Amino acid sequence: MEEKYRELLAGYVDGELTDPEKLDFERELSHSAELRAELHEFMQLKEVTNAMRYADIPDAVWESYWESLYRKTERGLGWILFSVGAILVIGFGLYHAFYELFTDPDAPLWLQIGLPMATLGAGILLVSYIRERLFARKRERYTEVEK
Amino acid sequence: MTSEKEFESMNSDSALVMSIGTGDKTAFRKLVERHKKTAYGMALGLVGNRDDAFDISQEAFLRVYRSARSFDQSQPFLPWFYTIIANLCRTWLRRRTARDHRTVDLDEASYLLVSADDPEEALVRKEQAARLRAALMQLSFADREIIVLQHFRNLSYDEIARTLGIPRGTVMSRLYYARKRLARLMGTN
Repeated sequence: MEEKYRELLAGYVDGELTDPEKLDFERELSHSAELRAELHEFMQLKEVTNAMRYADIPDAVWESYWESLYRKTERGLGWILFSVGAILVIGFGLYHAFYELFTDPDAPLWLQIGLPMATLGAGILLVSYIRERLFARKRERYTEVEK
Repeated sequence: MTSEKEFESMNSDSALVMSIGTGDKTAFRKLVERHKKTAYGMALGLVGNRDDAFDISQEAFLRVYRSARSFDQSQPFLPWFYTIIANLCRTWLRRRTARDHRTVDLDEASYLLVSADDPEEALVRKEQAARLRAALMQLSFADREIIVLQHFRNLSYDEIARTLGIPRGTVMSRLYYARKRLARLMGTN
């Protein structure tokens, strides 16, 4: 079957053909058994889907849709503020902790070794996690809006 | 039912998105109220799960909110919005496939409802709905999206062409092959 009639078949089923296209299609239809069989198959499919509809969600959910979305927009801002604030506070705290630790001659040696190790370890884990997330994001083909 | 009216509103949608870009929450609310059901319907057809479709529709609006400033006002809103939804659905389906090693939960409560007065016919329709649901989720994403837009969103070919950014002839061709595959999966031939 010609590709042209395949395209016209879809349009015929959906009533999307222009008059000349319809005439052309019906002419071909009158002497192509294959086309008639496909038309029958598509009409059956159309009948099945026409008898179905999507299940809607309750009105109460639709009514609260905006509130729930609005909370999410606020939450996004909240997370950004919280993250930046937390980084500043933790950074400041660590700076002072290390300053005190290394300038205090009475500070125990185990603390002078243990605390930097624990901090370095936590830093490596955090960087590794961030790198993993960024790598996954790079491989995510559809995160960007294309087209 | 989605209609030509939605496409007529493109300009005002674009204006709303531009206002959203300046932080106008009233414009955002207006856009959400106008398109929430469309967003949900599109996502539902693509992922086949009501809860996830709801979440995806909300995430799509959040992306509109966050990227409103980069929106090209000379372009219509709906194709851009549809692309966001479709991309979210693709990501969701890929994650779900990786997590579950399957593409569909056949036990999920049906999101397709049948309309039939006769109980016997209703039974047949329900069985058809189950087969259709399973067949739809076995189709490729591209096939499913064109079937969903035409059969369940009731968009005209011109509207589908604008939404997907493809020529009208390609819409017809893609619909033909998608229907062939769907019919084969449903066993109607």
